[in-house]
Amino acid sequence: MKTSVAYAVVAGLVLLAGWAEAQETNQPPDLVRRECSTCHGLRGISVSPMFPNLAGQQTVYLETQLKAFRDRSRADPHAQAFMWGMAAQLTDSTISAIAAYFAAQPAAPGKPAGRDETAGGKKIYEEGISTQQVPPCGSCHGEKAAGNAVFPRLAGQHRAYLERQLAAFISNARANEIMHENSKNLTALQISQLAAFLSAQ
Amino acid sequence: MRTKGLVVALLVPIVSVLIAVAAAPPFAPRPASATPGYARQTGISCQACHTVFPELTPFGRKFKLNAYVFTNVKEIQATDEQSQRTLSLSDLPPLSVQLQASNTTLGRGIPDAGVAGDLSQQNSTQFPQALSLFYTGKISDNLGSFLQLTWNPSTNAVGIDNSDLRFAGHAGFDSIGVPDFIYGLTLNNNPTSQDVWNSTPAWGYPYIFSNVGVPPVTKTLLDGQLAQEAVGFGGYLFLFDHLYVELSGYRSAQTSFTNTTTGGPGPLDSTSPLPRISNVAPYWRVAWEQDWGNHALEVGTYGLSAQVHPTGIGESGPRNSFTDIALDGQYQYITDNHIFSAAATWIHEIRKFNNVTLADHTNDWLDTARLTGTYYFRRKIGGSAQFFSTTGSRDFTLYCSPSTFATAPSPACPGAATGTPSLLLGSANGRPTTQGATFEIDFLPWLNTKIGLQYTAYSKFNGRSHNYDGFGRNASENNLLYVYLWTAF
Repeated sequence: MKTSVAYAVVAGLVLLAGWAEAQETNQPPDLVRRECSTCHGLRGISVSPMFPNLAGQQTVYLETQLKAFRDRSRADPHAQAFMWGMAAQLTDSTISAIAAYFAAQPAAPGKPAGRDETAGGKKIYEEGISTQQVPPCGSCHGEKAAGNAVFPRLAGQHRAYLERQLAAFISNARANEIMHENSKNLTALQISQLAAFLSAQ
Repeated sequence: MRTKGLVVALLVPIVSVLIAVAAAPPFAPRPASATPGYARQTGISCQACHTVFPELTPFGRKFKLNAYVFTNVKEIQATDEQSQRTLSLSDLPPLSVQLQASNTTLGRGIPDAGVAGDLSQQNSTQFPQALSLFYTGKISDNLGSFLQLTWNPSTNAVGIDNSDLRFAGHAGFDSIGVPDFIYGLTLNNNPTSQDVWNSTPAWGYPYIFSNVGVPPVTKTLLDGQLAQEAVGFGGYLFLFDHLYVELSGYRSAQTSFTNTTTGGPGPLDSTSPLPRISNVAPYWRVAWEQDWGNHALEVGTYGLSAQVHPTGIGESGPRNSFTDIALDGQYQYITDNHIFSAAATWIHEIRKFNNVTLADHTNDWLDTARLTGTYYFRRKIGGSAQFFSTTGSRDFTLYCSPSTFATAPSPACPGAATGTPSLLLGSANGRPTTQGATFEIDFLPWLNTKIGLQYTAYSKFNGRSHNYDGFGRNASENNLLYVYLWTAF
């Protein structure tokens, strides 16, 4: 009798610990709760397309960007206006915690766009445009646009945000040699199609 | 007759005080809620929190609801033996300065107070119209401030302006399905100054206006009558990222009073030049915000109920009651290139005069409605248009003769118990109706500097469009052409 009670208690405690730990990793860090969530949403899905979805984003990418905001190497206009201040005092460990939290959140669902646009964007994403020296985006960003380490997830991102980032890469407002080379020959229509396709994934 | 003499003796101070309260905002230019002190503290540029100062974005609203504490400056910190933080002081004080300069052109000069038949200057230039010092920002963890001192040109004195001290925190119980919410306490000196939408009086349009215009004969209590003359303390919740609820209580704390016995700012008694709130006046606020894409929409209600002892009446004497019930709404569309916002409010005031003959009848009402539209292109150039209307029950005693009394009733003010309407400031037909529109064009060479051209046109003033005071003054003669420079740094 005593032994089975003991086993039951231990089993119960293990279950409780497991449940508590599950709750733990899903708890937003305090800073996320107080600050990040006001623009990016508590679970990393933002309301306004001015602020990107962070849910399900690659951990390494998030860490890299937060450090780039902190040291001001990422200097596109919204980075300056919003994120320089936000990231200025972040420690490396806080950055890791924030990145881990958002990366663990379920990614934003895609928003359907027009069929022609999406088809055009899909073609560019999967095949590139050889005549314009545009490589297939999927070769770095993944078959399903879920990203890989330093290459960000693009699937389900706000369309307007993707368009703005591509424009920033082209103009060098956002300094990134690889992305500048890859996107500098894209036309406005192609950017629009790509963004429509990716935001629908 | 003794009774009549007593009535007149009570009426003179009471009505003149009511009108003085109605007529004189303590610091005529309504101060900004935008401060570079917050930018210094957070390291974030103005446009994160403001569309164009002082109007707030959804992020700016959250910053205020969180007690202004988000910070990115180095801090001096201390913790105790239990690892609780006992000090969190900014290394860099979040101070800033605001400067307003302006020129006002009146539709027509006002009667010269010294030379009968002559007029005042038509133009009035103020440099500064106001000069303010702000301490705005974090005091410690969870505690933050919006504190403002302003120099006033007509008194040549520096005085306290809109101020708000806040404590706020977050709580959330995801495991039992209660999502994150904000809770807070506010201590402030002007009802609606604690509000985060720009549709309520304290932070509503016009954000800056002339300090030399002719004031309409009356305003509702919520419309700035208690600014810096009352202190409110209350609590609020911001639930589910949508619903704001607040309950606060206001007591009189008058910057215009010195007790002749104690020599101090209190206790208030019947010698106070302003009406005194009896006990505590409750203030309530409920608002729902819905954001989607680049849009933000808010609808809400707010109100205040005050029992008031007029000047000359002691604590044991009868009180008058003012109950304000208001509705408001705000819409914003915010992108980098185009910003459009609209705000509307309607305040309904019920006035009850109990056993004190300072009005024609016991019950009076006063309604104020305002509708505003604003547009900016790239936060560089834009403007606003506002339609305003105040209407109310006819009451000759309240509105006809605000500050002077003649012994015989004038034919221009029939039925008045007390005589001729006041030159310029009174209403000959006993109605408080004041209606019109304000139009404005702004240019912002930098995010923290605004140059504006504003025109206010009255279709009716103190009851009528023509000869509203019985001395020939027309509403359009009170129109204002107002040019200003407003900068904060």
